[in-house]
Parts: sequence; structure tokens; C-alpha cells
Amino acid sequence: MNLFYKIITFRPSFGLRIVTGLVGIVLSLAICGIVGLTDMVAAQLKTNDEAFEGRLMEAGAKVYFEQCARCHGLQGKGADGAAPAISSIAFLGAQNTNPPTPSQRLKDIGWIGSLESYIEAVTTSGIPIKSSQAWEQNHPPFAQRFAGPLRDDQIKNVTKFVANWRLKPFTDGVVDAPKPGAGSGPQPTPMPLGPKENAGLEVFKGAGGCTACHAVRGVAAGAVGPTLNKLVSTAEKRVTQADYKAAGGKATDAAGYIRESIVAPNTYIVPDCPQGACPSGVMIQNLQQILKPEELENLIAYLMTLR
Amino acid sequence: MAIIGQKLVRQIRETGWKATVAQRTDDAFTRFTAGLTWDDVRGILRGDPPAKPNPRVKPHTEGFWFHIRPTFYHEAVTTLYPTFRLGYLSALFFLIETITGMFLMIFYTPSPERAFTNMIDILTNVPFGSFMRDLHRLGAEAMVVVVTLHMWRTYITGSYKKPRQFTWFTGVVLLIITMFLSFSGYLLPWDQLAFWAVTIGTSMADAAPLVGREVNLLLRGAPDIGAGGLLRFYLFHVLLFPLIGIVFLGVHYYKVVRWGISLPPELEAIGEDTARKVDQTKRVMFMPDIITNEIMYAAVAMAILAVSAATWYTAPLETHSNPQVTPLHTVAPWYFYWLQGLIKIPHILPFPDTLNFINKPVDDFFALVGLTPKMLWGIVIPPIIIVLLFAIPYIDPNPSRRYKDRKIAIGLAVAFELLILYLSLGGIPTGVPGTGFGYVGGNPVVEVAQEFIPDEGESEVKAIPYDQLIVGKYPLANDPAIDERNAPRLREIVRAIYADIEHRKHTADPLGKKMPEEAEGDVQVKLLQENLKEFIITIRYIDENQAPQTFSKNAYIHKNSDYR
Ligand code: HEC
Ligand code: HEC
Ligand code: HEM
Repeated sequence: MNLFYKIITFRPSFGLRIVTGLVGIVLSLAICGIVGLTDMVAAQLKTNDEAFEGRLMEAGAKVYFEQCARCHGLQGKGADGAAPAISSIAFLGAQNTNPPTPSQRLKDIGWIGSLESYIEAVTTSGIPIKSSQAWEQNHPPFAQRFAGPLRDDQIKNVTKFVANWRLKPFTDGVVDAPKPGAGSGPQPTPMPLGPKENAGLEVFKGAGGCTACHAVRGVAAGAVGPTLNKLVSTAEKRVTQADYKAAGGKATDAAGYIRESIVAPNTYIVPDCPQGACPSGVMIQNLQQILKPEELENLIAYLMTLR
Repeated sequence: MAIIGQKLVRQIRETGWKATVAQRTDDAFTRFTAGLTWDDVRGILRGDPPAKPNPRVKPHTEGFWFHIRPTFYHEAVTTLYPTFRLGYLSALFFLIETITGMFLMIFYTPSPERAFTNMIDILTNVPFGSFMRDLHRLGAEAMVVVVTLHMWRTYITGSYKKPRQFTWFTGVVLLIITMFLSFSGYLLPWDQLAFWAVTIGTSMADAAPLVGREVNLLLRGAPDIGAGGLLRFYLFHVLLFPLIGIVFLGVHYYKVVRWGISLPPELEAIGEDTARKVDQTKRVMFMPDIITNEIMYAAVAMAILAVSAATWYTAPLETHSNPQVTPLHTVAPWYFYWLQGLIKIPHILPFPDTLNFINKPVDDFFALVGLTPKMLWGIVIPPIIIVLLFAIPYIDPNPSRRYKDRKIAIGLAVAFELLILYLSLGGIPTGVPGTGFGYVGGNPVVEVAQEFIPDEGESEVKAIPYDQLIVGKYPLANDPAIDERNAPRLREIVRAIYADIEHRKHTADPLGKKMPEEAEGDVQVKLLQENLKEFIITIRYIDENQAPQTFSKNAYIHKNSDYR
């Protein structure tokens, strides 16, 4: 109680007040000095800047995988008919070469701004007119002011993310955009379908419900399962692969593989789908019961035209 | 001009250069201090006794700034007790906030497109930027504390009683202004924290009957917070509230000087007020005693604030606001936790079940008139508290300020404070750690992921040093296949996630939910790009419908992003 009383009736002596006050003032000024020095001389600001660049790029990665990966692929390598590579040397140039390689693509189309400004422009407003018939769809606009889903800061962030591939761009497995003008002639006439294949196409679009998940040029744009544009050549390659056999795959030719993929889809799970690793058990499991035998045969005949 | 020149020339001729300069400098100095010569000021700072007649009272009549301060205090109020200098410190923080706020204003634009970018600019491009921001934010929180404590002390010492009722009244306005200043400032960074705290805060107004919708529209400028709302909050924050604050501070302090600071209750007869009748021997002169005291207080407060801002305190900045994504566990500022607690009321009462027979009809009634009880607590209680605060001096019938005569008043206040404390604890968004009090978590699987990769805010996962994020897939286990020497933090986190899952299997959370028995999972680290990795927690479990489920949550981590 006595101590309590002493504390609350404490009145600092004159000297103590002056000294404490001085110490406080000097300390505050010293802190200001130190803050100024670390900000300007010790480049604290630069460190902060790098940190926030990093954090914004993280936000950009999230945008990329939510919005862009379904067309441009998980690694930005592009996909036939869907979208060009945006992680390739041809598009980005490279910073890990000496001297840095400039972007061939920007040169081809005569863009005078920076790479970042190009990515930002394409993403913001989309490309109103296809630069090449190689692509099925126009580039959609992403900015909210063009009725897209993204805020401007998100577009800036995803731009940072895409441009960061420059540190180590890809060369293999990329689908680069054709030169402007090239490939812009009439679309290659699709192989004429016979009556059996035509019936199969109807199953594909109708009873089978395949369009909900798969993309086929000019027919469907599903983004859950793998794109089927080049199904036959993929299938031919796959039946020779060791991991396919290891998974218990029994097919020896493309037709067999396609049949197996439909009637027993979980035998072998395709590694890459537009939104990441392919999920197992998602593809309809009981197609053999849903489809009549001849519908199944027609469907396979149709799929065999996708080369 | 010519005449001044002639006088100067004459003075120089008669007294010489040196004396003239000295005399003229002193003259200018005296004019600046409104009556004190250099020697007087030196005397004040050295604590010399004043000359006679005392020149140190001159500034109190001649100058503006000192005329609003009293010439002397009663000796009894110059010790730590009874004021604890809390009123003075409140005013000091108001000043600090004004200065640091003006600094930040220079770099800030109140528009949704630019506000967040401006904040990043302040932190990354403006010298002293992050320091000023920390000072401003910490100062704001400190001000809430100091003002509340000041109210407490005037309540406890009974200083609101006659003739100081109106001083108290203006004080309550200042308290509300302080809270509103804090709250309106909260939105300005335009990050997720800001956006959702303010969305939830203003939606409470929305729930008020009759005027709620209009008030809400007025505040937000549109049904949802957007460009209009941001601009309005900005103008409230930098213009309207400070103006009201300054006006009421003027009135408040005028009243304080007019009545004098109340003496400790035991020094006065009951019902009397002798603060202004100070015996010559009891006077403590403003100069030098009070002013040196105040300079000391200001210097110490400033030093504490500066050291804190430069070391342990960092004002948070989360990701850009996103109206489409509500982060799990949104947080109000801590000084509004009690409000959040109020909203959770039936949930945090110690005896909710026994109360059901009241709760139910009350709920039904409010449902009938279109209100939920949640809104009731949120909208009805706070205005009642405010009205009560305003009314205290006018309804307290007790003329005595003595503590032993005010057992009921002080008891009520303590009870009230305990209640606020209880509500605040209950209002903590994640509940009180370790007790489950106030817990409103959801699916345990989601909560585990949220604990390690929260939607917003600090996260243990993001704080793992980048080079310890070794690419690979690690099944959750007590002894994961991660090299202790290369990646101790990663290893520790994987173990911690495992331990958390196992713990939740045995111990139900406060709402009785348990982690499914078979739950297991893994952590995966992927290299996405040079300098950019992805950290994924995946948990597989069987849900209550016996269906297998997979839940995963990820975080992107850049090499430089430096979360700590
Ligand atoms: C609907 C599929 C689709 C989505 C989604 C999509 N893109 Fe594209 N992207 C394309 C197509 C098609 C082109 C080629 C358009 C053309 O050249 O006419 C393209 C071209 C581009 C180009 C220019 C490439 C070049 O070589 O000129 C960039 C950059 C780009 N996209 C970025 C993005 C970003 C960033 C996102 C995510 C916000 C995104 N895209 C989402 C389909 C898509
Ligand atoms: C619910 C979405 C969904 C539907 C509907 C669907 N699939 Fe699939 N499909 C997938 C997924 C996911 C995969 C990859 C996983 C796997 O290999 O099982 C896949 C794989 C395939 C493959 C193997 C592709 C390759 O590259 O090896 C073929 C062929 C296929 N589907 C054909 C069809 C046909 C024909 C239909 C319509 C009868 C159909 N799918 C309907 C989701 C679907
Ligand atoms: C921005 C906020 C405020 C400021 C700057 C402020 C400032 C001051 C100052 C400088 C004093 C002189 C005595 C002292 O230092 O204690 C004072 C006294 C007083 N204040 Fe405040 N005050 C504020 C808020 C409040 C609040 C919230 C209340 C109560 C609800 C309040 C009630 C009083 C009362 C009753 C006195 C007279 C005390 C006495 O005479 O002993 N003030 N105020």
C-alpha cells in the first residue's frame, strides 16, 4: 500500500524531468536518423520493394492458375488450337542467356512497347480479331471494364507472373504462335465424315455428354478432361509407353486404347489435363451401360478421325 | 523604412555593434515567446526561482498558446495521481496522428484503383514511409487506449460531477470521435483486412430498423463498399471527424480550464468544488514546473512510440481487397472485439441451453419484425451504452466524490468493464486460444489448412525460408522424410500439421466436431518458376456420408517475399 501510494504521488524532481525529457528527445531523433539511414543508405526501401514484387507475383500466380492455365496450360506451354505458348523463348526472349535474348514474337508483330505492356494489353482487352486461324477462340478480355473477371491490379500481377518465366523460358513442347498472317487462310477443311462417324459425332455431342469435359476443335470446349484434337496420335504413342503398360493397359493400337479409355477410364490416368493433373474417377465410369453397343462403335469410329 | 534605418544607425553608433545585435535578437525572441526574454527561458529550463514581479506569467496573457493554459495548477493535481496525465496524452496523440496523417495523405489517393498501390508505394518508395505508417497506426491504437483510460480515471475520481457534467459530455463525444477516426482509417489501405472489417461494421448499421438502409447507403455511397464508400470514409477520416474532434477538444479543454482540474476527492468537503480557489502556498506555476513536466511526458511517449514503430511493430498490409472473396475468420480491430462478442452472444453465454426458454420467444418475436437477435445485440446495445455514458453525470444522484461513498458507482463500473472484457474475449475471431471460448470454426479439415495457410495474415508456411522449401512430396508423419539439416523449418511444419490432425482426431473442437479417424495427407512443394514455389497441403478423409473426400489448400511463395 505504501509503495502504491508512493507511485501515485510521484512527482519527478526538476532535474529528472529535464534529463528524462532530453533522453526522450534524443532517442526519438536518433530513431528518425536510423530509419532515414536504413531507408536511404542501407537500401531498406529496395528490399521492401523486392518483397512486395514477390508478394504481388504470388497473387499473380493465383490468377494465372484460376484464369489462364485452362488455355495456356499449367506451364504456359500452350495447347494446339487453344492458345499459344507464353512461357517460350520465342515469346518471352530469355534473360538467362548472355546477352539476353529479345522476344522474337514482339518483333514479328511490331510491338514497340515492353513485353510487360504487351502481356498486359492482351490480357486487359483481349484480342478482338484473331491474329491467326490457328486458334479456335478469340482471346477473351479479362479487365472488368471490358466485362472480364479481373481488376486491373490482378492483371498487373498476372503479368508479373508470366514475365517471370523469362528467367528460365521453355523451348521444348511449346506451341508457339504462328507468324502474324501465317495460318490465317481458310481453316483446314475437316476430314469428311462418313455416316458412321457422323452418328458417332452425334453421340459425342449428345447421349455421351462428352462435350462437357473435353475440347475438340470446332465441336466442344470442355476443360475438365484432356483435349482430344490429336487423340489418335496420342493414343498410338501411349500404347507403347512403359507407364501405360505398368498401369495395366492392355490396348495395342489406337482404337483399342480409345475403347479402353471409354469403357474402363480408370485403367490409365492421363497425366495432364487443362487444369492440372487429370483427376481419376471423374470421367463417366459406366458408359458401357449408358450407350448402346452400336452407339459405342460409332463413337469410337468418330474419335478415330481426330488425328 | 528610413526612420527604422535611422534608429538602427543611431543605436549602433551609441552602443556599438555587438550590443545592438544582442538587444535586437532578444527583442525578436521576446516577441516570439510573447513576453519572455532569453534569460527567462533559460531560467525556466534550469529551474531557477522567478524574478519579482514574475515575468513568466506574461505569455499567459500576451500569447495565444499560453493563454489557453492556466498560469498555475493546484499542487495536489501535479503528482501522477489524480490525472495520470491521460488527458494531456490524449491531446498529444491527437497531434501525433495529425502530423503523421498529413505525411501519409501526401502519397495517398482515395480510389479503389490506386489506394492499395499507393500503400505499397509508401512502403517501398517513400523514405520514412513505412515508419510513418507504423507510427500512425500504432498511435491510433494507443490513442484509443489512452482516451479510454482517461475516461476511466475521470469516472473513478468522480470528476464528472457538478460542475463538470458538460466536460464529461464533450468527453464522450471525443471518445466516439476517437473510435470513428480509427474505424474510418481502417478502410483506407483497401486491403482484405480493411475491406471486410468495414463491410461487416457498416452492415451492422444496415440492420437497424427504419433508417438502417439509408444510413448504410449514406456511409457506403452504394449498396456495397466501392469507390463511393472509400471516398466518403476518406473524407470522414481526414476532414469531418478531425473537425468535430477539434471543436469538441476546444470546448472540452475550455471547460477543464474554466473549472480547474478537480482535486483528489479526499481534499474537499462533500459537494464542494475548490479547484479554482488555490492558496498561494499551494500553487505550482505553469512555468517552469508544468511545462517541463509536459515536455518530459511528450518526449517519453514519442520515444516509446518511435522505438516501437522502428522495432517490433509493423502495420499489417494484406492482399488487395476483393469483394468476391471473404477471408475465413475476418477480423475487426481489437477494440471492437466486444462488439463482435455481442453478436456472438447466445453462442458465448456460459449457460445458453438454460436460457433457451427466453431466447426462443425473443428470437421468434424479432423474426416477426424482420430482425435477427444478432442484429438486436449489434444495434440496440451499443446506442444504449452511448446514451448511458452521456447521461452518467446527470443521473448519478450521489453528491460525494469520495471513494467510500461511491461503492455502487465504482462497483457498477468494474462490473461493466468485466463484461466488456468477457465480450471482447468471446469476440476474438478464432476464440480464445487453448480454451475454445468463442470458437466458431467449421470443418476441422478446413481449419487445419487454415491454421497453417490462413486466407490472410501471417502464416507459418509462408515464413519458411525459401531455400528450405525443398521440392518434393512428403506424406504427413511424425518423422517425415525431410533432412533435418537442410530443411529444419519445413520438417517442423510437416510434423506440426501431422500433430494437429492427430490431435483433432482425439479431441473434439469446442463445437463437438472431430477430425475423421482415417484422415491422412501430404505436403507437396512444387517449383513453378524460377524463384517461385507452391506449397500444397492435401488432406484425404472419409466424410459422414462415407464418401472419400480430398481437401487441399495451397500457398504461392516467392523467394523475395520475406514474410515474417
Ligand atoms: C479461352 C482461352 C484463353 C484463356 C483463358 C487465356 N488465353 Fe491468352 N491466348 C489465347 C489465344 C487463343 C491466344 C492467341 C490469340 C491470337 O493471337 O489471336 C492467346 C494469346 C495470349 C497472349 C499473346 C501471346 C502471343 O504469342 O502473342 C498472351 C500474353 C496471353 N494470351 C496471356 C493470357 C493471360 C495472362 C491469360 C489469363 C489471364 C490468358 N491469356 C487466358 C487463349 C486464352
Ligand atoms: C465429367 C467429365 C468427363 C466426361 C463427361 C467425359 N470425360 Fe473423358 N476424360 C475425363 C477425364 C478427367 C479424363 C482423364 C482421366 C482419365 O484418364 O481417366 C478423360 C479421359 C478421356 C480419354 C483419354 C484421353 C487421352 O488423352 O488419353 C478419352 C478418349 C475420353 N476421355 C473420351 C471421352 C468420351 C468419348 C466421352 C463421352 C462419352 C467422355 N470422355 C466424357 C473427363 C470426362
Ligand atoms: C480526444 C480525447 C480527449 C482529450 C484530448 C481530453 C483532454 C483532457 C484534458 C487535457 C483534461 C485535463 C485533465 C487531465 O489531463 O486529466 C481533461 C479532463 C477531463 N476529461 Fe478529457 N479528454 C478526452 C476525452 C475524454 C473522455 C472520453 C472523457 C469521458 C467520457 C473525458 C472527460 C473528462 C473530464 C470529466 C475531465 C475533467 C477532469 C478533472 O477536472 O479532473 N475526456 N480532458
